Amino acid sequence: MNKKEILKLAKGFRGRAKNCIRIARERVEKALQYSYRDRRTKKRDMRSLWIQRISAGTRSCDMQVHYGHFMHGLKKENIQLNRKVLSEISMHEPYSFKALVDISREAFPGNRHIYHRPRKVDMSITA
Amino acid sequence: MASTSYTLFSLCSSFNAHCKISPTPSVSKPLAFTKPNFSSSFNLPQKLCFSSSPSLPQSATVPKVSQIDAPAVAESEPESPPAATQIVEVAKEEAPKREEIFAVVMVGGRQYIVIPGRFLYVQRLKGTNVNDKIALNKVLLVGTKTTTYIGKPVVTNAVVHAVVEEQGLNKKVIVFKYKKKKNYRRNIGHRQPNTRIRITGITGFENYPAVTLDSIAKSS
Repeated sequence: MNKKEILKLAKGFRGRAKNCIRIARERVEKALQYSYRDRRTKKRDMRSLWIQRISAGTRSCDMQVHYGHFMHGLKKENIQLNRKVLSEISMHEPYSFKALVDISREAFPGNRHIYHRPRKVDMSITA
Repeated sequence: MASTSYTLFSLCSSFNAHCKISPTPSVSKPLAFTKPNFSSSFNLPQKLCFSSSPSLPQSATVPKVSQIDAPAVAESEPESPPAATQIVEVAKEEAPKREEIFAVVMVGGRQYIVIPGRFLYVQRLKGTNVNDKIALNKVLLVGTKTTTYIGKPVVTNAVVHAVVEEQGLNKKVIVFKYKKKKNYRRNIGHRQPNTRIRITGITGFENYPAVTLDSIAKSS
């Protein structure tokens, strides 16, 4: 890569790394290495985010279901929606997601023995 | 990030007096994803970064956006108030009713949430040309305002119709491999081929066992 391309990639860097080619070259190489590594970790991070969202969605229904039990119920029913789409549905289509949670509850017998923790009420405001 | 899309709209209307504000502008934001919320509460969803999902401002908000931004536009540009009012009327009439239905479809090994009228970047579909009609058969879920059809795994006979718009390449990704102190560096550029398809309609799901809103309300 010639100097112009490196300095173009170095936009937004801190200090002399955006202006001086000798410093910019090192920083740009490091940045490209990080981007190579992080293109792989992005996939892992996204999946973890989707799982957190699905878990929050299943627990927010009236009859709470754990994420693991929920996914097991879906696999038993041969529903092949992936986690990305499930997390989107849990955010934007609550009724469809509730339907999925109900299907999973029916499919997996372990769901019926869930202990429902009593919801904590905020008592700090009462005088 | 929702506010930037609104400012885009107001900029469009103020600078280009003759442009029609269509509900499906071809400005693509491939990294963000929004969907209209069909449930009763009108929440603006947060935009998230996902790969390969297009985002466009919600059709339901297009008339609202133009109503909210039109007074701001008129105030900021007092030299062309008749143009601003004309744009408001044009915008109110131009936004057609979009069918309130969505589907989850599997294309190219990936699943997408799909709404008629929007476009989508998928992996390159070999053997198709521009302006070809396409029928996507792997429909995993169809949802309307009142009912949901959950496929196990596929909703039988459901088809998503689409039209191939453009076959292009993704943005260039620089693959840089480097090992320190070993004098090894490789610099490779990569552009993944993709296909842009526009969804025209979702059909064929009517005769499938569905879950309706009433049944969910009863069971909860």
